[in-house]
Amino acid sequence: MRVRVKLIANYMKLLPPGAQGNTIELDAQPGATIGDVLEPLGVPLGEATVLLLNGLQAEAYAPLSQGDMVTAFSAIAGG
Amino acid sequence: MHGWHGRLLRVDLTNQKVSIESIAPKVLKDYIGGRGLAIRYLYDEVDPQVNPFAPENKLIFTTGPLTATTAPTGNRYMVVSKSPLTGALAHSNSGGDFPTWMKRTGFDMYIFEGKAASPVYVWVNEDQVEIRPAAHIWGKEVPETTALLLAETTPEAKVACIGPAGENLALMAGIMNDKDRAAARSGVGAVMGSKNLKGVVAMGKKNPAFYDDAGMRALSVELSKEVGADVKKGSNLRIYGTAYVPQVTNALGILPTRNFQTGVFEGADKIDGVALKNSYLITHKPCYRCPISCGRLTEVPGGKYAGKGEGPEYETIASLGTACGLDNLAGLLKANYRCNELGLDTISTGLTISAAMEMYEKGILTDEQTGMPLRFGDADAVIEMVNRIGYRQGFGDVLAEGSYRLGERYDHPEMSITARKQEFPGYDPRGSQGMGLLYATSNKGASHMEGDVAYEEVFGVPVKADPLSTVGKAELVARFQDAFALIDSGGVCVFFAIRYAFTKEMMVWPDRLSQLLNLTTGANYTPDEALQAAERVYTLERMFLLKAGSGPEQDTLSPRLLNEPLPEGPAKGRVVDLHKMLPEYYAFRNWPGGIPAPEKLASLGL
Repeated sequence: MRVRVKLIANYMKLLPPGAQGNTIELDAQPGATIGDVLEPLGVPLGEATVLLLNGLQAEAYAPLSQGDMVTAFSAIAGG
Repeated sequence: MHGWHGRLLRVDLTNQKVSIESIAPKVLKDYIGGRGLAIRYLYDEVDPQVNPFAPENKLIFTTGPLTATTAPTGNRYMVVSKSPLTGALAHSNSGGDFPTWMKRTGFDMYIFEGKAASPVYVWVNEDQVEIRPAAHIWGKEVPETTALLLAETTPEAKVACIGPAGENLALMAGIMNDKDRAAARSGVGAVMGSKNLKGVVAMGKKNPAFYDDAGMRALSVELSKEVGADVKKGSNLRIYGTAYVPQVTNALGILPTRNFQTGVFEGADKIDGVALKNSYLITHKPCYRCPISCGRLTEVPGGKYAGKGEGPEYETIASLGTACGLDNLAGLLKANYRCNELGLDTISTGLTISAAMEMYEKGILTDEQTGMPLRFGDADAVIEMVNRIGYRQGFGDVLAEGSYRLGERYDHPEMSITARKQEFPGYDPRGSQGMGLLYATSNKGASHMEGDVAYEEVFGVPVKADPLSTVGKAELVARFQDAFALIDSGGVCVFFAIRYAFTKEMMVWPDRLSQLLNLTTGANYTPDEALQAAERVYTLERMFLLKAGSGPEQDTLSPRLLNEPLPEGPAKGRVVDLHKMLPEYYAFRNWPGGIPAPEKLASLGL
C-alpha cells in the first residue's frame, strides 16, 4: 500500500531522495504501523517526537491504511 | 537582600518628580517579582474602573529575581497596566537586552504615573534619574527613536520606547525594546503614549548578589548544558525560530486562515521557517545570554518590500500572514517590519485587518468606507493598513480600535476573533480545545503567553495531550496558567522554563525553577509554595478583573468558535466545547460561578 510521510522542520533531513518539499510517498507492507514506516528513516520514536495520523495525534503502534498521511515533528516548546 | 534589589523607582510624570521606595521583603516573597509584584502594586494603587488613558492609570515595568542572573533565559521583563484594549488587565512580556539593563539600574520595578504636560523620556542611570524633554523625538518611528535616545544618553544603554502607534493611542500599540523586541499586547504602548512618555533608557552595573553563589552558578551551568545539548542535536527553535510552527499547526488543521474561516492554509510552506531560512534569513539572534536563540534577523534586500529587522515569529506569520491569506513571504516580512517600526502588536494588528478583509469580501464594508480594496492575500493592502493604523489615517483610524470594536461598529461581532476584546494567537481552538478554555479564561484576554497548553496539545511538551479532547483540560489549563504566572514573575522565558525547569509531575511541577529562585533569593520556596505564590498572583489578577467589570460573563469566545464548526481538516466539524470545560475549571480553581470563594482567597492570604 502507498502512504505519505511528512517530516517537519529539522526532521526534513531524514527524508529519502524523491521527497516533494517535506513529504514523500512510500510503499508500506499491509499491516504496517507508523513505527514500521518511520523507524527505517531514523525518526526518533517515543517522547521526543509527536506523531500524527491523518492529522490526529497517534502512537507509533497505530496501523496504517492505503492513502494514509503520517506526520512527525520533534517535541519542543513552540510558538 | 539577595536576588531582589528591594527597591522601586516611582516616576511622577505630572509633577516631574522621581522617588525611590523600598519594597517590603514579605511582598517580594509572596509575589516573587515581575508580573506578581506588579499586580500587587497595580491592585493597591489603581482603581480597576479607571479610564486606561487617564493620568490615574499607571504603567509598571518589572523584572523578576531571575532577570539578569546566570539562569538560562534570565532576560525577561513585564509591562503591567490597565489595558485600553480589553478594559481589564494588561501584562505583556518581553526579552532582548533591555530587561537585563533595567535590572542593573538597581531597581526591581519602575512605576510611571500621572501624565507629562509635553512629551518626555526617562533616563535611568542607576540612582541618577532624569525626566527629559522628548518633543523633538515625538512622531518618530522606533528605529530612529532608539538611535536618538542612545545618542542623547550613552550608546551602552538600552531603550524601550513607543512608535507613532503608541502616541496615536492605537489600542494594539506595544512597547518596543532593543528596536525589534516587544511587550506587544493589550495596548500597553497606548498607555505609555497617553502619558506622553516616549521612551525609557536604562544603564547600570548594580546586581544583587545570589544567596548561594556557587550553587546558582552550578545549576545554571547544568541547565545551560542541557539546553545546549538539545540545540546541538538540531533544535527547531535554533534552526528555524518559532517560524517552523505553521507546518505543525497546518497538519493539525488549526492554522488560522482567512480570519479563522478555516484551519488549513494551502500556502503554508511558502511563508514558514524553512522558506525563510532559504531566502531572507541573515542569522539567528538571541535575547541576552540565551542558549536557545530563537530570534531571527532577516532582510528583504530590494524591491518594494525592502527592509531589515527581526522576525517573523510564528504568531506574526499566523496573524499578518495566514489569517490575512498571505503566501507572499517578502510582503509578510515588510508588514512585520512596519509593525515593529510603528510599535504595533502584530497579532492584534493582523487579526483586525483580517476581520476587515472578511467584512470587505462579504460586502459588509465598501471601498468608500475602507478607502481601498481589502482582499485576502493582498500583501500591499495589509502593509498599507498597518501604516494607516499606526498613524490613524483614513480607515486605519477605525482599525486602530481593534477588531472587537470594528465588529460592533458594523454590526458583525462574529467577524472579531477575540476573547475579552483581545485577538487570538495562532492556534484555532476548535482543534485545540484546551487553548479554547485558556483564551476564554485568561486574565489578559486571548493569549498564548498566559498558560500555553499548546505545548502539550500541539508540541508534546512536557507530555502529549490530545488536542481534540476536553477531558482533563480544566485542570491542565489552570495548572499552566499558574506555571506561566510563576515564570513571568521569576523573569525567565517560557521556552526554557516549561521544558527544563519544570517536570511533568502534577501537569508541570516547578522543581528546578523553585531551586533557581531559592539559590538566587534565599526565599526557600518548596515547589508547592512557589506554585501557591503563582496562584496568589493569578487570583489577584482575577480580582482586578472582577472589579474592572470583566468577570465571568466575559469568560467566553467569539461566536464563530462556539457555533461554526471547522469546515475541513483533521478537526473538521468541531467547535470549542467551552460549556463542558468552563464549569470544571471553576470547580478546580474553587471559583464558584467564576468568583474566587472566600476560603480560596483566605488560603492565599488575599
